[in-house]
Amino acid sequence: MDHLSELENKSIFIIREAYYRFKDIAVLWSIGKDSTTLLWLCRKAFFGKIPFPVIHIDTSYKFPEIYAFRDEYAKKWNLDLIVGKNEEEIKKGMGPTKGAKLDCCNELKTNALKATIARHGFKALLLGIRRDEHGIRAKERVFSPRDENFKWNYEDQPAELWDQYKSTAEEDNHFRIHPILHMTELDIWKYVQRENIPMTELYFSKNGKRYRSIGCKPCCSPVESEAATVSDVIHELETSHTSERAGRAQDKEDAYTMQKLRSLGYM
Amino acid sequence: MEEKTLHIVIVGHIDHGKSTLVGRLFYDTGCLPPDKVEELKRISAEMGKELEFAYMMDHLEEERQKGITIDIAHTFFATPKRRYVIIDAPGHKEFLKNMITGSSQAQAALLLVDISQGIKEQTRRHCYILGLLGIKQVAVLVNKMDMVDYSEASYKAIRAEIGSVLGKLNIKPAYIIPIAARLGDNIAGKSDKLPWFKGPTVLEALDSFSTNEAQTTRLRFPVQDVYDVDGEKTAVGRVESGVVRKAQDVYILPDGTKGRITAIKQFMRDDIGSATVGECIGVTSGSALKRGQIVVDEVSSTITDTIRANIFWLIDKDYKIGIPLTWKCATQEAKGKIEKIHKRFDPASIEVVEEGAKEIRPAEIAEVEIKLDRKVVIDRFSDIPEMGRFVLEHMGHPVAGGIII
Amino acid sequence: MTGKTENKTPKVLLVGLDGIPCTLIGDYMEKGLLPEFKKILGDGFALHQMDASVPDVSSTSWTSFMTGVNPAEHGIYGFTDLKPGSLNIFVPNSRNVAAPAIWDIIGKTANGRTSTLHRDYSGAFKRPLRSIVLNIPQTFPALELNGILTAGFVCPDLRKGTYPEKAYDYLNSIGYLSDVDSAKAAERKDEFFSEIFLALEKRMHAYEHFLRNEEWDFFAGVITETDRLHHFFFDAAYDAKHADHEVFLRFYGELDRVVARLYELFMDMTDGRGLFLTMSDHGFTTLKEEVYVNAWLKKEGLLNLDGRKEYFEQIDAGTKAFAMDPARIYINIEGRYPGGSVANGEKEGVVNEIKERLMKLTNGEGRPVIREVRENRELYSGPLAGKGPDLVCLAHDGFDLKANLKKDEVFGKGHFNGMHTSYDAHCILPKGVEITKRLHIENLAGIILEHLKNGTAA
Repeated sequence: MDHLSELENKSIFIIREAYYRFKDIAVLWSIGKDSTTLLWLCRKAFFGKIPFPVIHIDTSYKFPEIYAFRDEYAKKWNLDLIVGKNEEEIKKGMGPTKGAKLDCCNELKTNALKATIARHGFKALLLGIRRDEHGIRAKERVFSPRDENFKWNYEDQPAELWDQYKSTAEEDNHFRIHPILHMTELDIWKYVQRENIPMTELYFSKNGKRYRSIGCKPCCSPVESEAATVSDVIHELETSHTSERAGRAQDKEDAYTMQKLRSLGYM
Repeated sequence: MEEKTLHIVIVGHIDHGKSTLVGRLFYDTGCLPPDKVEELKRISAEMGKELEFAYMMDHLEEERQKGITIDIAHTFFATPKRRYVIIDAPGHKEFLKNMITGSSQAQAALLLVDISQGIKEQTRRHCYILGLLGIKQVAVLVNKMDMVDYSEASYKAIRAEIGSVLGKLNIKPAYIIPIAARLGDNIAGKSDKLPWFKGPTVLEALDSFSTNEAQTTRLRFPVQDVYDVDGEKTAVGRVESGVVRKAQDVYILPDGTKGRITAIKQFMRDDIGSATVGECIGVTSGSALKRGQIVVDEVSSTITDTIRANIFWLIDKDYKIGIPLTWKCATQEAKGKIEKIHKRFDPASIEVVEEGAKEIRPAEIAEVEIKLDRKVVIDRFSDIPEMGRFVLEHMGHPVAGGIII
Repeated sequence: MTGKTENKTPKVLLVGLDGIPCTLIGDYMEKGLLPEFKKILGDGFALHQMDASVPDVSSTSWTSFMTGVNPAEHGIYGFTDLKPGSLNIFVPNSRNVAAPAIWDIIGKTANGRTSTLHRDYSGAFKRPLRSIVLNIPQTFPALELNGILTAGFVCPDLRKGTYPEKAYDYLNSIGYLSDVDSAKAAERKDEFFSEIFLALEKRMHAYEHFLRNEEWDFFAGVITETDRLHHFFFDAAYDAKHADHEVFLRFYGELDRVVARLYELFMDMTDGRGLFLTMSDHGFTTLKEEVYVNAWLKKEGLLNLDGRKEYFEQIDAGTKAFAMDPARIYINIEGRYPGGSVANGEKEGVVNEIKERLMKLTNGEGRPVIREVRENRELYSGPLAGKGPDLVCLAHDGFDLKANLKKDEVFGKGHFNGMHTSYDAHCILPKGVEITKRLHIENLAGIILEHLKNGTAA
C-alpha cells in the first residue's frame, strides 16, 4: 500500500472507532485544509454521508471566502452544520483590536465551542490537528480525554497501544479525537492533490501572497509565495523549511530587521 | 525516495543522550526549520549552553527543567532514501507506559548506551520490552565516545558487554556503532575521529532497515461496525492479515458460522475484487455481522476463554489476583480477570522475582493466565501480531499491555 | 511609589549616547556648545576616551557593555551571523546573547547563563536589585528581568520588545518611538530631522516617567538618534559652512539639556551619592570612502560567488575567505561551512596571506586603507571564540569597511557621511572612580557592579 493510502486507512479506522464509541459526536470544521481533509476522510469512512453534526465556530471575523466555502460545501456534501457563535460577546464588540487578542480568542473560540458542546451534549469531538504542527502536539494521543475544564493532562496520559483507544472513565468529560494526527503538512497537501479535495482559494497565491494557515482575518497575515495551485504548494513545501505557524508574525519581523539594517548601510 | 515511512523508537537510560541524538539527526539531515533552529538557540542561550540539541524534543518547559522527555513525541525527518518518524521514548521508570506506547508504534529501534556507564537498569528494561514487542531491527549506539577519546579499546569492551546482555533478551543488534551525538560523530557522516570503526553511520544503519513487516497469508478481518450502505447491511473494518476477495467463502468467528463475501465496498470506488492488509473496507456477506466478530478464511485461530500471555503492567498501582478487567484485542472486548500469575519479574534485572505470585507491581512484567467471560478469537503474537496482542483496562483506564504466547 | 526611597543603595544612572565620540564632546565643550556637560564635569567628573568592542558595531559593543565580557563569552559578533555549519544568514537577538547582562546579575535572572563577570558577582547581592533598561541595542525580544526593559535597535515589535506588558502599555500610550526611519535621511531629510528630535523628546518623556515613578537600583537609558544623525551628517559636525551644521548643533544642544535633566533628577534623588555615568558604544568620524571587503576578496581571487543565490549562500567552490559586516573575515574552512575549501592545516597560511595583502591595500590616491588586521586569538577569549571571525580589519579614519556582497568595485561612496571608530568612544565617570589604564567598554559593567555591591553591603 502506498504512503497516502496508509495514512488514509489509518484515519478512517480511527474515525470509525470514534463513531462506534460515541454516538453523540461531532467534527470540528474550521474550513482550513486540515479540517477539510478530515471532513473528506469522514465522508469516505461513512460512504458519503457523515452521520453526525459538523461544527463551525464562527468568530464573525473570518474571511468572506471562508463563509462562502463553508456554505457551498455544507450544501454539496449534505452536512448537518452547526454554527457556534458567542453572540453576546460579539454584540458587546469583542474583537482582537478592542480587547486583548487572547481574550478575543478565549471568548469567541474557546467559550463558543464550550457552549456549543454543552448545548448539544457532545461527548466527543473529531479534530484535524497534526503532530508536526507544534512540539506540544507531538505529545497528543489519538483519543485524548479532557476534563470538564477542557484541561489536557499531558503529563499523565493513558497508554495507547496498537490502536486500542482508551474507554471512557468516570472523570472523562469529553474526548478529543485526532484522526489525522499522523499526517504532516506535506502529506495533507499531497492527499488533497490525489483526492482532488476542494480548498478555499485563500491558500493559493494572489499578487505574490498566500495564506499558509487561515483563521480570523485580523490575526492572519499572508506569506510571500507564488504558489497558485496545489502542486505549487507541494513544491514550495518540499523546497522550503519554515514551519507553518511561524509564517505569521515572524516574516514581518525579519523583513523589518533586514530593512533597518540596510538603511544603516549594513548587509 | 521510498514511499514508506519507517517509525523508529530511541531508547536508553536517562542522560545517555536520546534527545541530543534526535536533535542531531534533525540538524544533520537539514530537517530543522530555521525558526526551530532559532527556538533551539534561544532556549540553549537561555539555559547558558551553546547549542543543546536535546531541547529539540523537550518542548514543554517542565521537561526542559527536569531535563527529561516525559512523553512520546513524534517528529519527522528524512534521508534521501526515505522518511522517518522518530518516537522519542522517555527514560524514566514512572513513564514506562509512555515508552511502551511509543515503542508499540515502532518498526525499528535505536538503543543508546553511554560508553562511560554501560548498560544500566533502564536500558535492560527497555530492551526487554523491545524484545516482547517483537521489534527485531535494532542498532545499538555507543554514545559519548568523545569522553573516552574515541578509544577503540573502550568500545570493544562495551561491545562485549552489550552482546552478552542483549543475547539474554533475545535481541540481536544489527549494528553496534560508536558515536558522539553531541558532536555529530558517525551520525550523518563518518567520523574521522573513529577511523578504526568500519561499520555504518547511524543514518546508513537506519536506511538499511526495512519497512516491510512480515506478513502472513491467513485472512483476519475483525468487524469494526455495521453500517447501512445503500440499503445494505455492510460490515466495516480493517483487514489485519491476509487478503479478502469477492465471492470468497469465509468463517465468522468465534461462532464458526460459514459465510461468503458478496461485495467489498469503499467510497467512490466500484467493483472492488480484493482488499489487503491495512485497508479499511466494508463487506457484505449475506449473514448478519456485528462488531467483535473476526472474519477468517479458515479456522486456524484459537477460540478460547483462557489466554496465556506476557503482560507489562503500565500503571503505578499494584494488581491483585481477581480484580476485574476488560480485555481488548482488535475489535473484540470481553470482561475477565487474571486468574494465575505464573511468574512476575522485574525487567530491569531480567530476574524472576516470584513464581506463583498473587500480585503484580508497577513496571513489572508477568506471565499470566487470563480468564474471560466468553470465548474470543486469538492468534499467537509470533504468528499474527495484530491478533496476538491486547490491552487490559480497569474502570476505563488502560492498565496493561499483553502479548499472547 | 517613587524613585526616592528609603533604601540605602547608592543607585546607578547610566546615560548611553550611541556613537558620540570622546573628541567631539571635548571639542564641543571647548567651543561652549555643551554647557551642561561642562557643568557636570565641573561637579567632579572626568571625560575618558574609551575603546569599543571589535568589531565596533552597536550590536557587539552594546552587548560587551551590558555583559561586561568579550564576544567569545557573549556570542554577538555583529548584526548578522551565520547559522552553525551553514552559510545561512540570521540576525542574532537577545536570546542569542550567551552571557547575563548587568541587570541579570544584580536581579538574579541569569537563568543558567553565566560569564566570568557573573561568577565574580553572582554572590555579591543579598537581594535581587531592580533595573530599568531603556533602549539598549541587542535586547529584543525583551526577556524577563527584575524590572523594566524596552529594547533598542533592532526592535521590530515594541510589544515583544518590552517587559512587562504594563510598560509597553505606557510607552505605547505616549507614542514612544523605538527608532527613527533612517531610510528618510537621504532623500527626505527634513522629515528625518524632525523624527530624531521627536524620538529624543519621547525618550526623555519616558525616561523621566520611569525614573520618577518606578522603584529601581540600576537605570540605563540610551539615546540612539546621535548615531543616526552621525551616519548621514557627521561631515556637518565641524564644518560651519555645511548646510546641516546648524541642525546638527541644535540637536546637540537639545541632547545637552536632556542629559542635564537626567543628571539633576538623579542627583536630587540620591542626594549626590549615586553613580552617574554617560558612555558611547563607539566613536564616529567623517566617512571619505567606502571599502567593500568582499569585492577586494573577489579581486584577489579569494572569493567566488554564484550570483543566482542569496546572501552568503552565494559562496561558491574555491572560496578561501569571505567577509561579514563590517569587516569580519572568515576563512572558508573545510567542515565549518558547506563546501569549505581550506583545510585546517592551510588556515594559517591563508590568514597570513590575507593580512599581508590587506596591509598593502591603497586607494586611488595611494593612501593605505587598513590600520590593523587582528586575529581571532588576539581579540577573543572564551567558549564562543570559535564562532568569531578569523580576522577583523580596522581601517584608517575615513575608510568605512563594508561587507556588501553585491559590489564589484573595491571603493565607492554612498549617502553615508559618518563611520564608526573603535578607539574614540567616550565615558564620563566621577573622578572618584579610579581608572588605572585605558578604558575599554567591557570594563564598565564591573565598575557598575562594584558600586552596587558596595552599596548593598553597607
